[in-house]
Amino acid sequence: MASATDTALVSEDTTETEAVAAGAVGLAAVLFALSLASVFELVTITDPVAGVPMVALLGGLLVVLGFAVVTFGVGSRLGYVATDPRPTAGLLASGTFGLIWFVVGGLVASQTLGLGTAGWVVASLVTGGAAFAVSAAPREDIGSTLPAGALAVFAGVVFLTGVIGPSWVWDLGWEQQASFNAEFTIPVLTAFCSLLVGWAAAKAYGGFGARGRHIGAYVLVYLNAISIIALLFLLVAFTVLKGLPGLFKGLALGAGAGPEVTLVGVTFSLPVSWPFVMNGVALLNDVNGVLPAIVGTIWLVVGAVLFAVPLGIGAAVFITEYADRGRFTQVVEIATNGLWSTPSIVFGLFGLAFLVPRLGNRKSLLAGMLTLGFMLLPLVVITSRESMLAVPDEYRDASAALGVTKWQTVRSIVLPAALPGIVTGIILGVGRIAGETAPILLTMSGSVAPPGSQTVDVLGGFQLQSAPPFVTNPELMQATSALPYQLYSLITAGVGESSNISAIDEFRWATALILLVVVLGFYAVGIATRYYFRSKLQHD
Amino acid sequence: MNVLPDSDGAGLRATARRGLRRGRDFVDETPPDALVTVTVAAVSLLAAFAGFLAVSSLTAIPFAVFLVATGYGWLRHQELTARVLTLTTTVSTILVLGLILVFIFAEAWPTVQYATVNVFGVPIPGLRLFIETRWSPVTPPIQYSLVPMIHGTVLVTIIATAVAAPLGVAAALFLSEIAPRTVRELVKPGVEILAGIPSIVYGFIGFTILSPWAADQFDILGQGTYLFVGIVVGLMALPTVVSVAEDALNSVPESMKSGSLALGTTDWQTMTSITLPAAFSGVSAAVLLGVGRAIGETMAATVMLRGSPGLTKPLYNVFYGNDTLTSLIAANYGDADGLQLSALFVAGVILFVTVLFLSIGSQYIEARMRRKLGGAE
Repeated sequence: MASATDTALVSEDTTETEAVAAGAVGLAAVLFALSLASVFELVTITDPVAGVPMVALLGGLLVVLGFAVVTFGVGSRLGYVATDPRPTAGLLASGTFGLIWFVVGGLVASQTLGLGTAGWVVASLVTGGAAFAVSAAPREDIGSTLPAGALAVFAGVVFLTGVIGPSWVWDLGWEQQASFNAEFTIPVLTAFCSLLVGWAAAKAYGGFGARGRHIGAYVLVYLNAISIIALLFLLVAFTVLKGLPGLFKGLALGAGAGPEVTLVGVTFSLPVSWPFVMNGVALLNDVNGVLPAIVGTIWLVVGAVLFAVPLGIGAAVFITEYADRGRFTQVVEIATNGLWSTPSIVFGLFGLAFLVPRLGNRKSLLAGMLTLGFMLLPLVVITSRESMLAVPDEYRDASAALGVTKWQTVRSIVLPAALPGIVTGIILGVGRIAGETAPILLTMSGSVAPPGSQTVDVLGGFQLQSAPPFVTNPELMQATSALPYQLYSLITAGVGESSNISAIDEFRWATALILLVVVLGFYAVGIATRYYFRSKLQHD
Repeated sequence: MNVLPDSDGAGLRATARRGLRRGRDFVDETPPDALVTVTVAAVSLLAAFAGFLAVSSLTAIPFAVFLVATGYGWLRHQELTARVLTLTTTVSTILVLGLILVFIFAEAWPTVQYATVNVFGVPIPGLRLFIETRWSPVTPPIQYSLVPMIHGTVLVTIIATAVAAPLGVAAALFLSEIAPRTVRELVKPGVEILAGIPSIVYGFIGFTILSPWAADQFDILGQGTYLFVGIVVGLMALPTVVSVAEDALNSVPESMKSGSLALGTTDWQTMTSITLPAAFSGVSAAVLLGVGRAIGETMAATVMLRGSPGLTKPLYNVFYGNDTLTSLIAANYGDADGLQLSALFVAGVILFVTVLFLSIGSQYIEARMRRKLGGAE
């Protein structure tokens, strides 16, 4: 560790050299962004940027960046820059560099120089071994900058000299053809090199050693977190942008604009007409909609919740409050966790084999509800159990000391205290099952694009009869649609089945958007509930 | 415990005797009409379940009796009824897993039997499913080989794990050790929402954007590649890895980390030499669960793949994507019947058993880690 006097002595040039290293990190970031932009074809690699073709720009920047990092490393080794390096760069870094250069050597030998198997193996071993040695043998400042910087310079030179130019193609020569072209390869190689050099530069910025490694690692970890969030944002924003036109097509506001509805004997017109969510699909519709699928999804969720929540909470109460911890609770835990990770398509198969033959021998809404209920069940058990375990034992003891029975304690102490956690878990679970396609595909799927008249009316469907089973509901016993299934069938449907829908692409994206809104709505409510209860708990 | 540890028979007998005694005490202490109510409810529920299994139209009668009996019990003997009801729900949770096992195995059996091979006179059921390489349910010779689909599932899972494991563990480290409070409160819900995006939406975006782009970029004939299905599935498995790994990292006692920091290490040194090694088993359990998610992911694969079972040429050619076990089921259940449908159930059995093993394995690893850290505290 550097002592206080050391730091004071070198303080004047520290800022300068730190600025150089920070500049290298920034340049690497710019390069990374540029290469991403060309992977996503925002700019093509032949486009001129500030008068220079994109390829040349990327290559030139790589060379500059590589030299900067190598210079920094060498400067540090020769003592011009005050750093605090370790004797070696570490096995992980050396191994990685060795592997990278092994691949580079092999590719150059076999593809560019056209050597045979023996030739490229020897070349790979030589370059890989050299990189490993350069990285492992000298001090950390050389070991972690030289292999990275050399790679960037090498890649830059390859781009600049046109060995990999804009028209470069590498046919893999496989029986099923596939090839790499320049438009993909150049940006991806650039992105990779800039990541590597950016990491080395960040290490240099920290002066190598423990602090350098800390900063180098943090740069990568932060980048990872940012890209995950960026990806989420991109996915949602893209779906919203694509889906909005179809979603609000024909939207009209104003008194009497909407269709007539009858509620509690009073008939009135809704003040809003939103064709996409109020219509089905029909030949004569101005704007086709997904009303049957929306109603189907709602009923599915209601059915699954009615089935799974009482069962799940009951099971959680029994294993937390009644059963002694032992073999039995262990089996229940393993079973619920096993159920939780069971693939959704297996639930679908189970519904097909178990429920469908027993519920009128055809796909039905009820079979879909129960299948999704089976999927929801383990989640309810797990979250309810967790939140009941979190209720402090003092509560139970205090209640028991009043002389009430166990069930009274559970009902009036444990369940109310655990309720926030249970509710949150259920909402998040509902969000998950509302978007599931595979189980209902096998148990409930109806027509591809159902007309508005096929909207299920579960409440109005109940009929009483004198013979068993006394209560029947044909609405529950027939197939219907749901949003995820509708999206799936729209994707895979042939031309004939969806011929009623004119702008099929717009319709698909709008369906995807409304599905996303419904599911993420559940998630937002669930997460918000959790934060609400948590902040309330912290105030107490 | 007065049970002799060295003799299982005596232990069992003692347990049985204890159980019997407890049962007798219970019967003695409980009012007779409560006992009758509970018994009637239990018997009628069993009868209803049997009726449902047998596809009887009379199922409603015992179920109605059950409802009446529990209603009466709830009003008169709430304590006992609640206890019995919660026990019933627990049993039915286990029963669901049992039923899944029984039913998909039963449906899968005809094809397994059809694919029997005699090896030196010993019949091995199902072997032909794994030694042939052609899935041909219609054109003779009829073969139900699952090898192409297993190959697809393996490729997709490897790619997905390569995406989800490093990114997921890094994100978990970020959330549990590095991020400032406010950033964490933003990123954590983001990861959860990523888990919430329905798989069909991922599949749709993959189908409309990624697949055409990949076909163009890599000069592939047709659309559908294992590579991009793997990447998409990896992104979908990512949140599972993140949340489980984060739990594992959080369960490392704070005292261990502080002890290391007090020696003057950087945060990163503490993470790599204390936190990660201590939580290693928990983190690997997270990766296992992520692998399980990736294996079972259906819709993205179904929509993005070609749906024409066959091996890619060469075998490691990830730029072509034919079929996985999950997409085989989702794409073919409609026009399958008889042996072909049963073959789909075999695929389901393979998925179910693999993922169940992964789940149990990760639970075992987590339990071991909890014991270890609990002892170290």
